[in-house]
Amino acid sequence: MAKRLIRRNRDAVAEAKEVAAKLTPRDKKTMTSIVGLADGVVAAAEKRRDPHVDIPSRTLSNIRYSPRKRIIEMGNSTNRRQLFDLSQAKAYMRTMLVASGCKKLLTQGKTTSLRGMYYMLKHTIEGTKENTFDEQSECDTVIEDVEVLLTSLREELHLYADKRGEMVGNIILNDSGDEIDCSRMGSGGYAIPSIVEPEVIRLDPKKCDAKFVLHVEKGTVWQRFNEDKFWRKHHCILTHGAGQPPRGVRRMLHRLHNELKLPIYCVLDNDPWGYYIYSVLKQGSINLAFESQRMAIPDCRYLGLRSRDFERCDLSDSVKIALNENDRKRAKQIAGYPWFAKKRDWQREIQKMLQNDFKLEVESLISKDISYVTEQYVPARLAEQDWLD
Amino acid sequence: MRLGRPLPAGYNRHSRYRFTSLLGGDSRELEIVELAAKPTKRPARKPDKQPVKNVPGGAGARRVRRADTPGSNGHAQTDPAFDAPSTNGEAVEESAMSPVVEPERRRRATAQSMAAKQRDISVSEFFAKNRHLLGFDNPRKALLTTVKEAVDNSLDACEEAGILPEIWVHVEQTGPDRFKVGVQDNGPGIVKKQIPLIFGKLLYGSKFHHLRQSRGQQGIGISAAGMYGVQTTGKPVKIISKVAAKKPSHYYEIQIDTKRNEPQILNGRGEGVDIPPGSKGAEYIAKHGIEWVDQPHGTRVTIELQSKFVRGRGSVDDYLTQTAIANPHIALHYTDPEGNARDYPRSADRLPAEPKEIKPHPYGIELGRLIALLHEAPNETVSQFLTTTFTRVSPAIARKICHTAKISTRASTRRIGRKEADALFQAIQATKIAAPATDCISPIGEVLILKGLHQVVPGEFYAAATRPPAVYRGNPFQIEVGLAYGGQAAMQHVSKEMLRDLIDETDARTIRQFLIHTFNGLGSDAADRILKGSGLGTRQSPSSLKPKEVEGLLAAMKGVNVSEGQTMEVLRYANRVPLQFSPASCAITQTILGTNWRSYGLSQSRGGMPKGPVTVMVHVASVWVPFTSESKEAIASYPEIQKELRLALQAVGRKLGMYVRRRLKVKQQSDRRQIFLRYLGEVATAVSEINAVDRSALYEQLLSVAKKRTADADVKLNDRGRPIEEIQELEQDANVLIVDPTAAPVAINRAPAAPEQTE
Repeated sequence: MAKRLIRRNRDAVAEAKEVAAKLTPRDKKTMTSIVGLADGVVAAAEKRRDPHVDIPSRTLSNIRYSPRKRIIEMGNSTNRRQLFDLSQAKAYMRTMLVASGCKKLLTQGKTTSLRGMYYMLKHTIEGTKENTFDEQSECDTVIEDVEVLLTSLREELHLYADKRGEMVGNIILNDSGDEIDCSRMGSGGYAIPSIVEPEVIRLDPKKCDAKFVLHVEKGTVWQRFNEDKFWRKHHCILTHGAGQPPRGVRRMLHRLHNELKLPIYCVLDNDPWGYYIYSVLKQGSINLAFESQRMAIPDCRYLGLRSRDFERCDLSDSVKIALNENDRKRAKQIAGYPWFAKKRDWQREIQKMLQNDFKLEVESLISKDISYVTEQYVPARLAEQDWLD
Repeated sequence: MRLGRPLPAGYNRHSRYRFTSLLGGDSRELEIVELAAKPTKRPARKPDKQPVKNVPGGAGARRVRRADTPGSNGHAQTDPAFDAPSTNGEAVEESAMSPVVEPERRRRATAQSMAAKQRDISVSEFFAKNRHLLGFDNPRKALLTTVKEAVDNSLDACEEAGILPEIWVHVEQTGPDRFKVGVQDNGPGIVKKQIPLIFGKLLYGSKFHHLRQSRGQQGIGISAAGMYGVQTTGKPVKIISKVAAKKPSHYYEIQIDTKRNEPQILNGRGEGVDIPPGSKGAEYIAKHGIEWVDQPHGTRVTIELQSKFVRGRGSVDDYLTQTAIANPHIALHYTDPEGNARDYPRSADRLPAEPKEIKPHPYGIELGRLIALLHEAPNETVSQFLTTTFTRVSPAIARKICHTAKISTRASTRRIGRKEADALFQAIQATKIAAPATDCISPIGEVLILKGLHQVVPGEFYAAATRPPAVYRGNPFQIEVGLAYGGQAAMQHVSKEMLRDLIDETDARTIRQFLIHTFNGLGSDAADRILKGSGLGTRQSPSSLKPKEVEGLLAAMKGVNVSEGQTMEVLRYANRVPLQFSPASCAITQTILGTNWRSYGLSQSRGGMPKGPVTVMVHVASVWVPFTSESKEAIASYPEIQKELRLALQAVGRKLGMYVRRRLKVKQQSDRRQIFLRYLGEVATAVSEINAVDRSALYEQLLSVAKKRTADADVKLNDRGRPIEEIQELEQDANVLIVDPTAAPVAINRAPAAPEQTE
């Protein structure tokens, strides 16, 4: 493949620059689809046809829940993007730009962030005052388009998102050849990289001494658990995703669950947002439905906080946060999702929250005692096997 | 004696005509007036004097007559004797107050002493005092009215005689606030003995007694203009008229004897002068300084008057331009006081169809009029009376009316008293009568409107619509609308020298003012943009401009998109006469404001005039145009008229919409190509970077696809049907004219004409 590329490239300067990095088999596959995309344009142009690409649509209407696999899957509908359509011409041009940018990354064997890609491709269109991109968000959506278009994952395109989320626990993993002992991370923890594919991170069942994974919603709660060395006491891995977990965290959890057979428990806020984080971890997200297969963990469990915890834990009124109109709407929407619709426990849970008309954050447990959550709440739930599925 | 018969149906409605005739020196009219007019609107002072003979109570003192005049209910009459007490506020209760039991009054004057003061008022005396009623309220308007009356008379005369009119208008300054107006036509001329009467006697004319479409109506205008001239300058009115090439011309210098409303001939020992035809005559004309453009026949009137010459809205220039638009069959030569000559060539070689005279329609008649008509009628049956007096009344209908009124069809008109007349009047309203024949109206016609507009208004798109005739209150009328769109504003043709001249001439205090006043249709928005573009201060005076700044201004004027802030210009006409004042109270303006122009591709703020380089002319032709006031400035808002106006405006609006949309489409198409072209390069680069194909080859290929695609898009639009059909329809439409704006003669003519718009 690389040879063919060099042979075909008549641009001497580009050739000199392109230190053709060794392509992994996965890179070769990605390269083929990128070149296929470009060849499609050439073929259309030769036939005097309108070049177009069919991008699988990433909308709520194009996803469906598979009860058998218990994950969200992407449907078959696509959006046609044409060069010779006034409203799409610019988007088409951007798609091609992103494809060429990814090709450059592949051949040079380098990776870049989404923002890096944005700067790589941003320039003023010749003869105009118009920029190819004005905002990073414009570039990000096109990158997602290219991912689904080429059915390549972001990491396969040599792109990564910002790192977010950390982990500690009784596990030693191999990150790009370095041994990382997650039980010796001090107070900081191991930052979960954006790309956690087997090429980068290798997991070894023999080097894992954990019985389960506890995923918490955000850094502050995670900090509490880490400081109390919860993971040491309970032999677990402790992760957080700084709110809605990024792909790296989700993929890591997925691998821990599937390769090391560790059950995943979540401690999230008792609000619609927390429910949705759980939903994404469990079934996959709408926007990245094409990745559910390698991200969603249908067996993931919801440990807390529960709507009934206000009474159960005897919390004071001061920790209540009233629901706003948006929360109520969102809660009803979540209750209506097909993967929640038939679960009586979940329906009761959401109904209870709506009845309460307030939400609870995990931090609210601190009002009882600083370590209440690590020493009493979570151990009790685990002991009682009191969770939602 | 059928004197009052042919009076216009709407007669009483429009006091303008009514009261002028009230004062008529002509006793024939007086009868009618006294019988028919409602005294309510009558100006209080004048009626007293009239030598009314056969009106009941007519000759008596005003108080008595008011009460007795048939058809009068006297409720609102402004009688000074009545008004005084109430204004003094002495009487709390009006009903209790009677003029007779007014003690103070008696002490001051007695009926006898008052009777001694009561006497006739001559029409001319009245109008000399109330000249504003005839459009002589200020010097500026006086000049316009004089030109207007003379030109209207000339046009009417030529058309009646079947001659294609050619008019010379010459305005010359003779003193600091004095102007001499000369108007000559190639009409049939006037026979010798009529000349002094026509020009030297108010209310002497041929058009008053006929119900038909004409410009003038009551025979008051030109003699009033002459009277105004004599009063303000002391110079007599000079008339020279020639009936045929071989016949002598008649030359008169006259002035009105205001006391008696009689002409006074000053030259030729009160007999006027006959100038023989041929070279001898030419010598005489030259020797005596008589103004005359040699013609086989025609009339020239010269009036010197105190006035002020201005340009811009409501000016003589404006009036002549507008007249030329609505009368494409005339040729006009105009010399302004600065010596600039402008010709309005003839764009149609055919006279408009001669309007027909009609009988009044029963629906348009009022009770007072009906009584008057009955009174005058010869001894005949009511049925005969109805069928012969009115249009559209067949014997069957007459029978029906009589039946409803419970009057025998065979009853003599002599026996019809007030009560019966009232019953008859009510019966007429209750009976269904066909609308009057409408073929009595002679519209300008769509083709000629297009020609007229094209000749005078610069533009690239012209449309016209003539509505079928309709009827309001028993009077047939017809609406015509013409529209001109686009073209470049006059200012964009201005040369540097012209601009410098204009700046020298102007008396505007700031440049902004100068721009707005000098160039028609240039809004304040556009002026501000020009100033911004030229970098000049808003408050800078035009006279202090340096040559370099003038150049900057010129560049800005050419560069700024003026049409952005332009608003629609409306030209209003009634029976081919331009209406130049009181636009706000006119039905035409109101209807234009009430029409939604946004759907026709113009922008329009709520309740405002539409914006854009548009000129709309609206012509209301009728045997009786309902003006809102005596000065013939605005048309009254009858629902029927407004409806027709709206339909006509919509008809041209739709065509404009098609054109504007098409222009937009063409523009979009090229924009589209532009957008594709912009991105093609990027796509080609990206693709060649990926699979290393030849970039330029790919680009060329994509380019050709782009061209094909955008062309395809056109075709697609066509196939979908509507848009393309519309365009073809538009081009085939006889009522639409599309021209290349740069090739339009007016667009070039406009530049030398620009100074005429200076205010």
